[in-house]
Amino acid sequence: MAKSVRQSLYYVLLWLISIAFFLPVLWIFLAAFKTKEQILAIPPKWIFTPTFENISNMFSGMNFEKYAVNSVIISLSAVVIAIIVSFFASYSFSRYKPKGTDFLMFLLLSMRMVPGAAVVVPIYLMYTALGWKDTYYGIILLYAMFSIPFSVWILKGFIDGVSLRYDETALVNGGSRMHVMFRVILPQVKPGLVAAFIFNIIFVWNEFLFNFIIGGKKVTTIPVALATGLYKTHGVDWTFIASLSLVYMLPLILMIYFFQRYLLVGMTFGTVRGEV
Amino acid sequence: MLSIKVVNLSKHFKNTVAIRQLNFEFAASRVTCLLGPSGCGKTTLLRIIAGLESPTSGDIYFGDERVNDLSTSRRNIGMVFQYPVVYRGISVYRNIELPLLREKIPASERKKRVTDVIDLLGLGEVADKDITQLDNASRQKVAMARAIARQPKIILFDEPITNVDTSSKLVLKRALKEVMQQLKQTIIYVTHDQTEAMTLADQIVLMKDGEIVQCDEPRKLYLQPESTFGGWFLGNPGMNFFEGECAQAEGKSMVKAPLFPAPLLLDEAYTGDRITIGIRPEHIKVAASPSAGSVRGKVVDNLITIGGQRLLTVEVNDQRIKAKVDHKLGSSLRDQVWLELPLDRIMLFDRDGSRIHRKFAGFRAG
Repeated sequence: MAKSVRQSLYYVLLWLISIAFFLPVLWIFLAAFKTKEQILAIPPKWIFTPTFENISNMFSGMNFEKYAVNSVIISLSAVVIAIIVSFFASYSFSRYKPKGTDFLMFLLLSMRMVPGAAVVVPIYLMYTALGWKDTYYGIILLYAMFSIPFSVWILKGFIDGVSLRYDETALVNGGSRMHVMFRVILPQVKPGLVAAFIFNIIFVWNEFLFNFIIGGKKVTTIPVALATGLYKTHGVDWTFIASLSLVYMLPLILMIYFFQRYLLVGMTFGTVRGEV
Repeated sequence: MLSIKVVNLSKHFKNTVAIRQLNFEFAASRVTCLLGPSGCGKTTLLRIIAGLESPTSGDIYFGDERVNDLSTSRRNIGMVFQYPVVYRGISVYRNIELPLLREKIPASERKKRVTDVIDLLGLGEVADKDITQLDNASRQKVAMARAIARQPKIILFDEPITNVDTSSKLVLKRALKEVMQQLKQTIIYVTHDQTEAMTLADQIVLMKDGEIVQCDEPRKLYLQPESTFGGWFLGNPGMNFFEGECAQAEGKSMVKAPLFPAPLLLDEAYTGDRITIGIRPEHIKVAASPSAGSVRGKVVDNLITIGGQRLLTVEVNDQRIKAKVDHKLGSSLRDQVWLELPLDRIMLFDRDGSRIHRKFAGFRAG
């Protein structure tokens, strides 16, 4: 009896903490359907008639479509490029074990540890020198570069978990290396690919700093639009922030909801081994 | 069909020699078993033939073609590994079909080949199932089917039934036997299990420390091992060995050994002073009462073995010797028994363990 009471207390505590964390998200979601007055009302209005005006306003005159399309194009292509490159890289690391593999793997991950703020100036200088500022390929390649280390780590773990016998069986059965990689290994590491995809898309989708500095009008993504559109002539534009935040967060939340089992597998770094 | 020939083949790993200066020809269209204890180089040899390892020196020929520089995928072989390699997430049928998709053959022919091997291996009932629903033995069948379906000229098996449970082993062994009888391919089968080798092979190549010790058909290998190693390794338990002293008298060679009541004469002269005498446990005659040519021994151990036989350990003049007798006789025996070693069943070896082709002609008179 005492035990179950204590357990329920724990749950209540956990729920309270969760709600505390989730409250800002809920607030911004609700705000997307409120008028400016309702948003700023004190005490906060919990019951109100939802309005879709904010959402429809986004499509008129705020360049929302452009930001959304940019976000989608840039994150998808950067992550797809990163995953293709990472798959090749991690296959080679896993199977050919070039000299210094461990060191190279460390180097790769350490690249991801470098804080963005520390490298943003040199990268800005490099990009202006190359003339890549405010170009799609420039920003896509940058994000791909940032996404590769983590993807290689995840995928190498997964490929290490697939026995070398798979490769050998395919080879003796007359398959080429490409056949081995794409027809044999790839299907086995699908959860790894999905996990790498999700982790990286979260990163790129949310990335602000580099898009702000080396991007420009042409390649502005939602986070940058959100920050730069914060202030209008008459103060903070709450309705804009709320509605844009909603459409900004929704795709990721949905994606994570549907792929959460892969995320779990991904977080264990491919330690879920096959039987072979 | 193709024979496989290795010439002066050597393979060195960092600190070990896996294969040393091997010369051998695997007969075309026959099943050759590579048999030997772990680490004798048999798997390495197989992997070199498959092209998965490259030899340190020496050549490999398929028929007359030298294949050293041919990549694995172009050697036109099939191979089955110790662990069943199956592709998860697709059906059994698709698993077998997958390598065929790369061959330039019409779809109808492809289908025929797949269904043929499915029938051959009795996989019909599970063909449409997802591979993950199958147990290890059936998965291994799928791996075999995949290797066979491409109809390669050479099929290599690397201990394919080592990792399945005992009851499935029998099923797989039977399936293999059937497949091997139907196929006309050159088959090399690596195993450390002598019963597998005995049942499946047309000829057995016995290996030890990277060298071939003997190559013969199973029965001959068992009955006439060319070395003490062969005698010891084959059989359960292996051959009994004991030392004899060899001396020359009256122009003839004579052997004295503790298990014989009198010195023995060799049919031809032998100059060494020591000789190793080997006999298989089942060839020893055990009796409760003495007879001509028998020696007295004390039963140390009396175990029941599979197949209703008894395995006796008998001590004779401080020598322990194992003998297999049938159950009825074994259980009736007391502590004291008399052993007789039939002279025609005895194998003789020199100090290094190589066979000496001599026989015991009989006991020295007097």
